[in-house]
Amino acid sequence: MYSRAWVRVRSTFGEPAWLAVNLSVPLLSSLAMALLYGSVGLSKYTGFAILGGIMLAFWGNVLWSMASQFNWDKEEGIFEIYLVSPAPITAILVGMSLGGILATLPSATLVAVIGWLFFSTSINPSWPSVILTFVLTLASLYAMGMLLSSLYLAYGREAESLNNAIGEPINLLSGLYFPSIGFGSPFPFTIQFIASLIPLTIGMDALRKSVFYASGVGSVWFDLVTLAVMAVVLLYLGDKALTALENRGRRQGTLVVRLR
Amino acid sequence: MRLPRAVFAAAWMGWQREMTWTNPALSLFIKTVAPTATVLTAAAVYWFGSSAAGIFTAERLAYIVVGASLYAQVGAYAYVPTAAIAEGKWSNLYQQVYITPTSSIPYVAGRCLASFADSAPVVVISLGVAFYASQALFGANPSLQVSAESIAMVAVALVVSLPAALGLGYVLGAYSIFVSRFEWALPSYVSGLLMIFSEALFPASVLPYPFSLIAQALPFTYLMRAARAALIYDSWKVYLTSMFYLIIGGLIFLTLGILVFVQAEHSARAKGVLDRKVM
Repeated sequence: MYSRAWVRVRSTFGEPAWLAVNLSVPLLSSLAMALLYGSVGLSKYTGFAILGGIMLAFWGNVLWSMASQFNWDKEEGIFEIYLVSPAPITAILVGMSLGGILATLPSATLVAVIGWLFFSTSINPSWPSVILTFVLTLASLYAMGMLLSSLYLAYGREAESLNNAIGEPINLLSGLYFPSIGFGSPFPFTIQFIASLIPLTIGMDALRKSVFYASGVGSVWFDLVTLAVMAVVLLYLGDKALTALENRGRRQGTLVVRLR
Repeated sequence: MRLPRAVFAAAWMGWQREMTWTNPALSLFIKTVAPTATVLTAAAVYWFGSSAAGIFTAERLAYIVVGASLYAQVGAYAYVPTAAIAEGKWSNLYQQVYITPTSSIPYVAGRCLASFADSAPVVVISLGVAFYASQALFGANPSLQVSAESIAMVAVALVVSLPAALGLGYVLGAYSIFVSRFEWALPSYVSGLLMIFSEALFPASVLPYPFSLIAQALPFTYLMRAARAALIYDSWKVYLTSMFYLIIGGLIFLTLGILVFVQAEHSARAKGVLDRKVM
């Protein structure tokens, strides 16, 4: 676990250009949405857009550096090395997650700093609640990344197109820049229910309450419990899916196929 | 005949890469999902904020829906040269193109044309879906003037924006010739910056000076204005003025783009980086 995390951290911090690469989408998207709020005289909501940009950095990392990773590793011949090593695959995935979180922190922090400098966003946080929500959101989000990485292993080049296709709809449903569930949501109940199955939706809702409305742990406890349950369930499902697909790959001899 | 044939061959290749990796209908669906979600996200942001403040207007919603839909077309151009050249260097395709008698200028043009062809339906579909989804989700009708005339006006504006797209393609193509790592970094920035500077979501006047001047200088800004003049404001005067600036800006972009690209090709040849790889 430590080894895989270290590789990810070292590869990012050893190559500062990665910071610029990781920063582009979350920074520019959140600036665009913040300016959209500002353009209609709603500057008090620009903080929602900046918070969305911060979490988009992590969601992007989950999508592109977790979900797709095993597929790329398979193409480059690294995945077979994981399989023959004595380390459990789940530990490698957890290490990849921890490394990914550490590697994404600088770009997420920069989004926050630049957003604050541009828009002087005012916040009213309850820090214990913010920290707890943030940690649990990342835990459930990266657990979802582990599940996706298992599923993407079954795909070839389609994985990249799938990533491109699901990224934006999840940004929409999870309410990265506006509340997509509960009060203020533009969606009908059915869509809100579907959106609630995505950890990012629950996390964003709880983070908005904690960061901007000083909601303490007592106010967001249900969101926190939901996130914790989601993290455990997704981790379990990811482990099961990976084992099943690994076994299928062994039988069909597709684990070392590089380009189909 | 050599030049049109080379452009057509490159366009066909680009179309094949983008659309035929799976069933074309599925490919079009997958390409449409993300831009449509982007349009709805922008519309939802506006709906949420303006409803809370009691300042919602259907015209402003239409402004955002039209701009965000067209952004799918504009943003797509930023990625074409990277796919054509940087990716082509990895697959040894670009080197083959480079040694052909017509060189790579028609190749980039063809790939941009393919991007135009495959992203134009995406604009239409995302605009249509966003229009009906706005009614269903927000209970609001974006005030669009949809008629044969307004649709033709938008189609003409899209075609007239091609020189600007080609110009952008050549400049980014010049970058792609030299880059061997982080190929997708600059296109990501360009695509994101176009969302901010091309009036996709809000008027250029929202941007602080001198950033607002950048938006005024971009031909894509005038594409947005022309499309809105046709679909929202029904104003021939604004449409024709925007088209004028779009043509002039596009030609300047194209000329500069070709100059930069030719210079980059010569320089890359001298430095021996045309087939450089990082393993």
